Parts: sequence; C-alpha cells; structure tokens
Amino acid sequence: MRRVAITGFGVVSPVGVGRAAFWDALRRGQSGIARITRFDCTTFAAHLAGEVKAMPALPERVAAVAAEDPKVGFAFAACTEALADAGVERLDADTLLHLGATLEILDPVKLIHNGRPDLRATILAYFRGEISGSQLPLDTATALVCEAFGRPRQALTNCSACAVGAQAIGHGFRSVRAGRFEAAICGGSDSLVNAHGIGGLQLLGALTTDNERGAHACRPFDAARRGTVLGEGAAVVVLEPLEKARAEGKRLLAEVCGYGSSMDAHSLSAPDPDGDGAARAMRAALDDAGLRPGQIAHINTHGTGTWLNDEVEAKAIRRVFDGAWERIPVSSTKSMTGHMIAAAGAVEVGACLLALLQGVMPPNPCLDKVAPRCELNHVTGQAAPFEGEYALTNSFAFGGQNATLVLRKADD
Amino acid sequence: MNPSDVVVTGIGMVTPLGATAAATGEAWRAGRCASRRTLPELAGTPMADAEAAVLPAFDARARLGGRRMLKFMSDAAVLGCLAAREASEGAALKQRFRPERVGLFAGTGLASSRFEDLAPTLRESIDETGQFSWRLAGERGLPATNPLLAFKLLANMPPCLVSILECAKGANLILTPWEGQTGAAIEQAWRAVAGGEVDAALAGAADYPAYPATVFHLRDRQALRDGEYAAPGAAYVVLERAESAARDGHRVHARLAAVEVAATDGPMHDPLAEQMGRTFAAAPAILLALACQEPRGTLCLCGVDRHEFRAEVKEPR
Repeated sequence: MRRVAITGFGVVSPVGVGRAAFWDALRRGQSGIARITRFDCTTFAAHLAGEVKAMPALPERVAAVAAEDPKVGFAFAACTEALADAGVERLDADTLLHLGATLEILDPVKLIHNGRPDLRATILAYFRGEISGSQLPLDTATALVCEAFGRPRQALTNCSACAVGAQAIGHGFRSVRAGRFEAAICGGSDSLVNAHGIGGLQLLGALTTDNERGAHACRPFDAARRGTVLGEGAAVVVLEPLEKARAEGKRLLAEVCGYGSSMDAHSLSAPDPDGDGAARAMRAALDDAGLRPGQIAHINTHGTGTWLNDEVEAKAIRRVFDGAWERIPVSSTKSMTGHMIAAAGAVEVGACLLALLQGVMPPNPCLDKVAPRCELNHVTGQAAPFEGEYALTNSFAFGGQNATLVLRKADD
Repeated sequence: MNPSDVVVTGIGMVTPLGATAAATGEAWRAGRCASRRTLPELAGTPMADAEAAVLPAFDARARLGGRRMLKFMSDAAVLGCLAAREASEGAALKQRFRPERVGLFAGTGLASSRFEDLAPTLRESIDETGQFSWRLAGERGLPATNPLLAFKLLANMPPCLVSILECAKGANLILTPWEGQTGAAIEQAWRAVAGGEVDAALAGAADYPAYPATVFHLRDRQALRDGEYAAPGAAYVVLERAESAARDGHRVHARLAAVEVAATDGPMHDPLAEQMGRTFAAAPAILLALACQEPRGTLCLCGVDRHEFRAEVKEPR
C-alpha cells in the first residue's frame, strides 16, 4: 500500500482565515470566542460563539450562496487555499472530493406570511420572486467546488456531525493509500452560529451559559467547564501519494498513517460512559498505522468542554495509552476555536500539522484547574515545544460516531 | 481477500410497494405500482399537481420493540430502522457477529420534517408587526420547541439509530443527500467487508422526500421531473464474507461481485421511478435489495448528484 502525504491545507476559522493566521493564533493561545454578532442573541441563554470575523473573498456566485449559508463560503475558501497550497489546479477522474457539513440552513423569516407560518404562502412568494430559493442541501459546497475546479471521479458529502472532517480525511486517506485515487481533497465546514444551531444545542444542554467568561468560556477538561461554545469555519486538506508528491517536488506538510472509526451504539446525545467506542477508534487508528500507543508523542483531543464528553475522552485516552499517557502532551484547541462541529476534525488535523511541522503544540489557555477524572498531560497556558514523530487527533460525534487519525511528521 | 466473495445474507425494505422485503419484492416482480396522492398543502400553487407515494400500513412500535426510541425518530429514521431490523434479523447479525466487528455504511436524504414540527417555534417568534423576531425566538420560540427536534433534523441520526438498535459498533460512513452518496456508502461497505475491516456490514439508506416542503424543493430544482413523484422508502442489506456464511450454514441471498460509483455526464436514470416513485437517497439500496431477491444482474442508477451507481449481483456459489 502507498504512503499518503498532506500536500495542502486550507482553513477558515474563528481565530484566523488562512493557514498562517490560524497557526499564529493557535501558537499564541489566542481565542476567537466572543459575543455573538450574527443575530440578536439577547434572549438566548448562550451568548458566545467563535465567529469567523470576515468572509474571505469569494467568486460572485459562491458569495451569493454564502450570504444565505456561510458554511458554503467557508468550505469554498478552504478548498481554494488547500488546492493552491498543493499546486492542484483541477479536479479530474483520478480525484476524490469528500467534504461535509451538519445541518441545512432554514431561514425562518421566509416562512412567515401575514403574521403566521404558512408553507403555501412561502411557495407562492417564491414564485412571485419575493424570496430566494427554498432549501440549500448539505452538498451545496461540494457542488460549487466541482463547478469551479472540475469534476472528480467521486464528489462525496459526509454528514457525520462532529466527526465529518476526520471521517472525510480518513476515507480519503484510505482511498489514496489503496491506489483508488491519485489525490483526495477532504474536509468539513460548518456554521451553526444561528438561531437554529444555538437554540437547538441550548435545548439539548450542550452549550455553556457562562457568558461572562467571554473568550475563555470553552474550557475543555477544566473543573469550571460548563458546556461547549459553538464555532464556525472550514478546513480542507489535499492528500496525495507521498512518493509521487515527493518526486514532483511538492512540500509535504505531514503524512497520514492511520485511521480508525467506530460507533458507540449507546445513545444519540451522550457518549458511552466507559469510553469504549472512543477507545476502539483510537486503537483502530493505531493498528492501521502499525504503531504502539507509546509511539504517539502528541494528542489533539476532541475536548468539547462538556461535562461528560471530556471525562469519557480522558478515560478512553488513559485506557488506550495505559502506561504512556502521562508522557503524551495533549492539546485541546476547541478552547480557542469553539466547537466547529463538522469542520472540527479537519481543523484539528491542522492543529496537529502545526505541532508536527513547526515543533509547537498549541495550548489549552482555558485550563486553570484540571477537573477530577480529566487527568491527562495537558498543555496549558502557553504553547510548548514539540519534537515527536507521531500525533493523534480524535473526533466524536453526536449520535455516537467516533473517528481518529494518526499523523506522522513529514520526513523530507 | 476476494471482493467477489462478499455475500448478502440479510435484506430489509419498507417502500410504497410493501412494508417488508418480501412484500416489496413480490409487488415489484408483479409489476404493481405505488399508490399516490396529491398534497393538499400545495393546492393553489403552481405545484398543485405534485404527487407523493403512500406507504402501506406498518406497526413500527411492534417491530422495533417499544416506543421510547420512536420519540427520537424522524419518519425517515423509522423507515431506516425497520429496514435495518429486518435485514439484521434475516442475517442473525446479533447472534453471529461481535458488535465491534459490524460496520454501518449508510446514505441519508435531504433534511426534511413535517412543517408542523417547526410551526410552534415559528408562531411564538412572531412580533406585533407580524414579522419573525430573533428576540422572541429566544424568549418564547425556544421554550415552545420540542427538544427532540434536533434529533429529527440532524442528517446522521437515522443511521445512528440503526447502530443503536442493531448494535453495530464498527467502522462507519454516512453520506448525504442523493443517490450517488448512498451508492458510495454501499461501495465502501463492500470494500470494508472484502478487506476485512469488518466481519459484517449493514449497508443501506432511508429517505422521506414526500413532505410538501421537500416536494416543492425537489420540483423547484428539477430533481423531480414532470410526471415523477416523490416516495418515502428505505432498504438495508447485510454484507459478509462467503466464508462466514458457510461456516454458520447461513442462507445466502446473493453474491455482490462488484460495486462502483463514478461521476457521469449522463442523464438521471432511476429504474424504480415508474413503479414506486423517486426514493432518492434510498434508491440504490432498494435497487440492490430487490436484485438480491431476483432477477440478479448488473444494476445501474444515476441520481441527482450525477453519480452512476453500478453493482453486479450474482447467484450464490
């Protein structure tokens, strides 16, 4: 089987748009979380989010769609950056495109007519040209990327909630490794910073209402954590056969060497309290990479800042890395980006790239006091130097889907 | 491992032609067509002639064992869970395989729900001028919202419910929202079984495109063409390697010799459309499930996402 390299990375995030800005912020421990500006959240319990501060420049047609659904613009911008980074100009019959997102946008304003919700009136208003399109399916970004860059052999749209990014990259990695594709462009995008996202997750009790903590409200593994904070954005990687990319003189950002996925089959909203599913995803990724747990030198956790998730993940890490976990530094970058849901897995692959490529592990700047049962070797306060060879990143989704990726430092 | 040694040992379907695989297959082979109806919500609009298929009666509570989980389920999830349960039972999945070695590879359709599910939130969010108000949405709309609504709207929930009910804890992939995506999920299931990543896999999809708002959208984007009608449906199959079926002496319905999905410039083509309507994300799974009964052969379907799904279904050895 072939080795697979990451040759391009693009990102749109609350801490910065573009790879350089993103890495600079993570290295400095700078949070992108602040009071929501996207809509009037006064009467919502959760007032905080990691918003993308300015939409990147987009082609006119994409910008028009992004005005209604920001995640489409984020995905397109991240793809554009990743493809340019890798020197890939067109998608073709040897290429896989695998993006994803979580939830379709619904504009409630369009559904109200004469002071009441009215589907028939909405349809008639549409035919009179008074309102724009009816529904933006989750494959909208995938379709627009194909329009702009050409049609790949497969253009896929993943909807595995918080595991989208990691699952898309994992599937792309396996496909390139097996020789089915010569390149895979994979990642995720999301924007739930709207009334549906904030309201829906608030109803499920997932969001912190500790609004006065502002930029430091998302506190993975901290004793004072009260829930997660939503973030938004996108991240995309370009995967190519390592030897081929090297022969073409491309810069290798990192090597993907293992992927594992599992399901909890336990509950739609809560993880298996034993961390069994999470542990199996990590073990599967290590097996896939042919590594022993002790060879992992850095972990970027799923680390959402919710009460149960953090405890379960910490338990699973301690179980998988039994005898080694105290030596493995752990970063939790949602403390700065917020939970970017479908984008999170790909964004956190980017954080691992930073660690491997630049020898710097991002901190968890919101971790003041480690909560009971959350003991790990956390990187707190400031970024820490890093010299290891392998990094592992976790993504665990609502619904019980788990995905883990193992990355290796590029050896050129 | 030899990919042509992947076999189908469980089949489940809920379609407008029948509430089980046997009923659907019998109606399909007899050439019967689905019952359909116009949608009163679209009366008076330019889409007044739009139709949707009607499902036969079924007792989800009895077949899924209780109503607790049903509270979390969208209509699509109910169909998916029923089809997966039938396939799982047919293959004796829980009895024969460790949950950690059972994968789940699925497609799901467009986000869709009954307009009435959203109406309470919307009604409470209208201000004195008759406009939607974000302030009121937080103050009164949210408290009026069913907290379980999120579980009905998130696209990965129907397959995740299948994983819980059928105890599938292995590798997984969930794609959305059109036919080609389900085809790619089935392809990945076939590869995962052939390659030994899992010992068995539930592969399939559920879609419920028959709500008025969804039909409006599908017609508007010409995904649903003149003369076509939307249809709810679901199908799952259980894939495993021939050696495990032989070891356990389990009945093999068919051999899945090849699965391939690729983008195409060809026109949309759904062999199910005339008899049971357009089931979109569910269509490749239903087509495969039908072919695992008979007649077998090479299947071909091209969906809204312009991906051609091809599968070669052969007699068991």
